[in-house]
Amino acid sequence: MFKKALLALPVAMALGGLAAGGAAQASEWQDPTDVLQKLLDNNPDSKYLHQSEQNIMMMPDNPALWVAEDGEQLFYEERGPNNASLESCDFGKGPGVLEGAYVELPRYFEDTGKVMDFEHRLVHCMKEIQGFDADDPEVAQRHGNDTDVMQLTTYIAMQSSGMEWQPANEHPKEQAMLAAGEKLFFRRGGAMDFNCASCHGESGKRVRASRLPKMRDSQEWTKAVSWPAHRAGHDNVRSQGHRIRGCAWQMRHAGIKPDSMANTALIAFWNEAARGEPAVLPDLKR
Amino acid sequence: MFKKNTVAAGVAAFATIALATGCAVAEGNKSDEVDITAMSAEELAEYIIFESDSFRLEQEAQEGGTARDRMVQDDLQKACSFEGEPDGETAGEVVAMARAEYEAPEGDIELGDWEKGQELAFSGYGYRIGHNNDDHGTREPGGNCVNCHVFDPEGPTQGTIGPSLEGYGATRGDSQEMREYVHQVISNPHQFFPCAQMPRFQGLLDEEQISHIMAYMLDPDSPVNN
Repeated sequence: MFKKALLALPVAMALGGLAAGGAAQASEWQDPTDVLQKLLDNNPDSKYLHQSEQNIMMMPDNPALWVAEDGEQLFYEERGPNNASLESCDFGKGPGVLEGAYVELPRYFEDTGKVMDFEHRLVHCMKEIQGFDADDPEVAQRHGNDTDVMQLTTYIAMQSSGMEWQPANEHPKEQAMLAAGEKLFFRRGGAMDFNCASCHGESGKRVRASRLPKMRDSQEWTKAVSWPAHRAGHDNVRSQGHRIRGCAWQMRHAGIKPDSMANTALIAFWNEAARGEPAVLPDLKR
Repeated sequence: MFKKNTVAAGVAAFATIALATGCAVAEGNKSDEVDITAMSAEELAEYIIFESDSFRLEQEAQEGGTARDRMVQDDLQKACSFEGEPDGETAGEVVAMARAEYEAPEGDIELGDWEKGQELAFSGYGYRIGHNNDDHGTREPGGNCVNCHVFDPEGPTQGTIGPSLEGYGATRGDSQEMREYVHQVISNPHQFFPCAQMPRFQGLLDEEQISHIMAYMLDPDSPVNN
């Protein structure tokens, strides 16, 4: 029964995606297990992708699937001071359109005049549509399986599994943020002189026991940026923002804030570096 | 402000950090107040770091000053902020900067205690700030060496970003010249490897700590050499 529910979920979503049909998607929804299996098959020599046999074995039972189910309930539930669901939230492809939305972010939003990453946009909708205040735990707490933000993120991101990363880069502000994100990636600084490329410049390297993905290897990088992922070592689903915060901390830079321009610019560059590769959503990591 | 607390106060401080973490989003995102398309990528990156409320710049840094000070690049960091390998001109400039920064110890260099050096090489503690701050008052900062270098394949898994140092002293000896060279590389590796990924440890670790790590590498009794 446990297993059945897990299998039923992606099937239902695949059907939902087909029924919605028509939209100019670069690719169709695929089960994250299948996406990862193809990446493994295509890259037999990637030490990063092949670092853990347990990874692919556990994918069909990824605990993140349960977090996505919780997120689905939250998405359609009428909540907050305004007693509204999130169905009118526009993630860039129109109100309530979730299929393929996650892999096209960050993007410029006319209503805010800003380039926003997924989490920033989600929180914006929770505040504007549902009426949550910045201090309410529903939007203030960002990390952990039991937070609304992680549950909603996992559900919504899953609607883009198997689709190609194609962050918006038409608007001048999108292009500016992407270019700044690239500068930030290579900007050496902090107490120990690190930049992001210190760890992500070459393939097959390890920091202690962890194999590191190379940013310029798009098939390694698509898995690297495929958050939300259940992070086994943390026993929690984690977000792109959580990964960036952890990297800034380990790099001995200043602490980075969510919903910030730095966070958005880095995510824009991350997703751009995986352009054209299928997203594994949700993923599972060590 | 979170330093030097009793255990109970430490718990209270942790709760404060947790609360601060929850609220520490960038309310002051000012992207609508300036024209970000009018800036070069580099100008925008600097604007984002220092003006857009993206980082917790007011936090105290363990080395003194604030996180804002820490994020200001020095000349060497600026010179090495590119993708790939340095060209000849950059490499020459960076080597010159590194030599000018380096402070050589006076007199002969003595090795410390390799066991303490081993502990320091394996410790990843120190200098982290943000959602969780390393407290140098309760635990000394480590060298993070095994994040990137294999010293002793018998030990816990070690990193491979830098070259393996297995048998370092056994193959190179322990002359005063070797000690001088190793001290220079640990203190400021850019003197020999311009724009290397390795931190400049002069200033991050004290001279005694560096002498222990050197002993771990060079002492004939160290597991690195056996």
